[in-house]
Amino acid sequence: MSILTKAQAKNFAEMDDFMLELCDFLKSKGVIDAKIHRSILLKGFSRLVDYLQEKKAISAKEAKEAMEKGYTSLVYALAK
Amino acid sequence: MYGWAGQRLRVDLSSGKITKEPLSYEYRRKWMGGRGFNSDIIYNEVPPHLDPFDPRARVCFGVGPVSGTAAPSTGRVTVTCKSPLTGGFGDSNMGGHWGAELKYAGYDQIVVQGRAKNPVYIWIDDDKVEIRDARHLWGKFPREADQMIKEELGDEDIHMMLIGPAGENMVRFACTFNDVWRAAGRTGTGGVIGSKNLKGIATRGSGTVKIANPKAMMDVCNRLRQVFKNDPMKIGLNVYGSLCLINVANRDGWFPWRNFQGGAHPLANNMSGETHAKTVLKHREGCFACPIGCGRFTHIKEGKWAGEEFGGPEYEHAVPTGPRVGILEDANDIWHNARLTNDYGMDGIETGAVISAAMEWYEKGLITTKETGGLELEWGNEEVVDKLIPMIATRQGFGAILAEGGDRAADKLGLGDEGHYYTITTRGMSLPGDDPRGLGFGYGLSFAMGTRGGCDHLRSLCCLELSGALYPGLNTKILGDERPNKPVTTVGKPYMVYYEENQKTTTDCLQVCCFTTHWSYAVLTPDQVEYLNAVTGLEFTEEEFQEIGERIINLERAYWARLMSGAREDVVPERFTKEPMPQGVDYQTNVGVVFPLSEMLKKYYKYRDYEPGTGFPSERKLKQLGLDYVAKDLAPLRSKYLSESEKKKKKYYY
Repeated sequence: MSILTKAQAKNFAEMDDFMLELCDFLKSKGVIDAKIHRSILLKGFSRLVDYLQEKKAISAKEAKEAMEKGYTSLVYALAK
Repeated sequence: MYGWAGQRLRVDLSSGKITKEPLSYEYRRKWMGGRGFNSDIIYNEVPPHLDPFDPRARVCFGVGPVSGTAAPSTGRVTVTCKSPLTGGFGDSNMGGHWGAELKYAGYDQIVVQGRAKNPVYIWIDDDKVEIRDARHLWGKFPREADQMIKEELGDEDIHMMLIGPAGENMVRFACTFNDVWRAAGRTGTGGVIGSKNLKGIATRGSGTVKIANPKAMMDVCNRLRQVFKNDPMKIGLNVYGSLCLINVANRDGWFPWRNFQGGAHPLANNMSGETHAKTVLKHREGCFACPIGCGRFTHIKEGKWAGEEFGGPEYEHAVPTGPRVGILEDANDIWHNARLTNDYGMDGIETGAVISAAMEWYEKGLITTKETGGLELEWGNEEVVDKLIPMIATRQGFGAILAEGGDRAADKLGLGDEGHYYTITTRGMSLPGDDPRGLGFGYGLSFAMGTRGGCDHLRSLCCLELSGALYPGLNTKILGDERPNKPVTTVGKPYMVYYEENQKTTTDCLQVCCFTTHWSYAVLTPDQVEYLNAVTGLEFTEEEFQEIGERIINLERAYWARLMSGAREDVVPERFTKEPMPQGVDYQTNVGVVFPLSEMLKKYYKYRDYEPGTGFPSERKLKQLGLDYVAKDLAPLRSKYLSESEKKKKKYYY
């Protein structure tokens, strides 16, 4: 089952500043815990991508694409 | 112990008592060094309502665990005090070689308190520390005093911190120097040092820094030096110094023309790094272990000021007493004014800012020659600026009013809110020569949130929007998006400022130059963690590194909260939020832009976990950072800040 609906992915993709809200959302869904939430905010986007790949929420290819294309690519991957 | 020297030197100038205090492992791990050590002392030992010039006030000098090592640019020192300019938390840091020398002498920090009966200087010769007579040095420029002390101690290789006449006269924005020309310019640290009758601290260190893992250290340093060879910002900074920004600032409309009435001017190239290099550059200089070498040494060859020489200027030192006061036609006037502020020992930014505010008061008819003592404060009047700088430093005539800083001067002259409109300050400190309507909205947000007042240019330094475009993929790696590398957008800026503030703060604890980590992004956080661990033998993680920065920001923010400064004071001067940027040159990119602070502020508060009403750090955040005692201090102040009587107070300084 996908983590985001397409509508949610679109909503995140249109945000001016997504990081906190996406992390809060993933925490509310139990995808990340409080410790990882904090770690991501302190270290940045690459930590989020690494963690999601590690947890197999996204594939290696999607992780690579996210690091190249940015968070919009990531949120749509999470909606697949 | 590796990395740190492991001790603090405390000098009480009232009693003459000199003590050495060990710094525990837990303490070092919590505060890291430099800025962190200093901020802890100010929070705990300087009550928020104490007069900064009271002998009980402290001034601290801090270095870090990698100071004096081969990591890139490890010579910096943070100077911290309760600011006499703002009345709040104040610090500033400087390059040079003194930081490394302090470490070699065996100290991580010096805390000076009390007041000497007569002018003195401190002489540190490794573990021997003396307080020596400085009456013969009082009134001397730093370059003169430096030479006299070296002759007196018979050693040309001594490095020292010094203040100039402005510091002796307790000008509220006097600065602190080391190696004569390297200034900790902001917040008035020199005035606090002067109030203690302290002219300087001469230092000779014959020790070394113990490295836990020399091979790992050499590997990371060699790798980083290779990175610097082709780094785009390093090349620009080395060839043209920070004046390389002049033409960029003019194109993007953040060149501070006439107190920010404009953001670009057709004659800007007169003072560009390119022009400076062709006309007056004598040689380039670098600080300790620096792979960049952005320092300039200027020799004026022609005109009225021919023959004058000085170290500098930087962009931020040149623009305030140049375009900000309307001087641009003859760049030699600008170099001369920078030389004057250096010699007298004043923050060039604040000096130019207060003069430009006075010029705008004069232009708008708020003051006349009656108040100025006959000085005609017209834009671009070099004769007046040349007279005013020494008058401010020695507190003569109208200069004595301006020596109080812009907002206090506005009050002394009875100019009301209109007078304050033109001071271009936040929490009593003038913004540097960077207009957020062009430099970037991240910078602007940082001006509002800076923990030392309206200053960001060496604070959060969110260069991901200034030089980020030169490092493709970097904004995505950190922020998840390349779009924030455009300055005039709100996209990604709240998180950018949160991240960069944390990062820069820990960089200030390591006491390495932020031109290696922010302007240039040759050294990234993982690299810093790598050399920190190689030096100390500890296992810091990236998270811990960033969290130390977050802890310090919250402590500094809490210092302001204890002064009843919070959400209402998180503003930028209204000129930036109300006046659309006018056109100065036809290729300017930001015509019509206003700065949208409020859009970003709420989101930034969420990243920081600041309370929406007060803007104070939340109890939850303080406890998370191990600052339970700070949470206890703030508890009774939260409702007080929201009371009707507090809401009515207009606070321009404290």
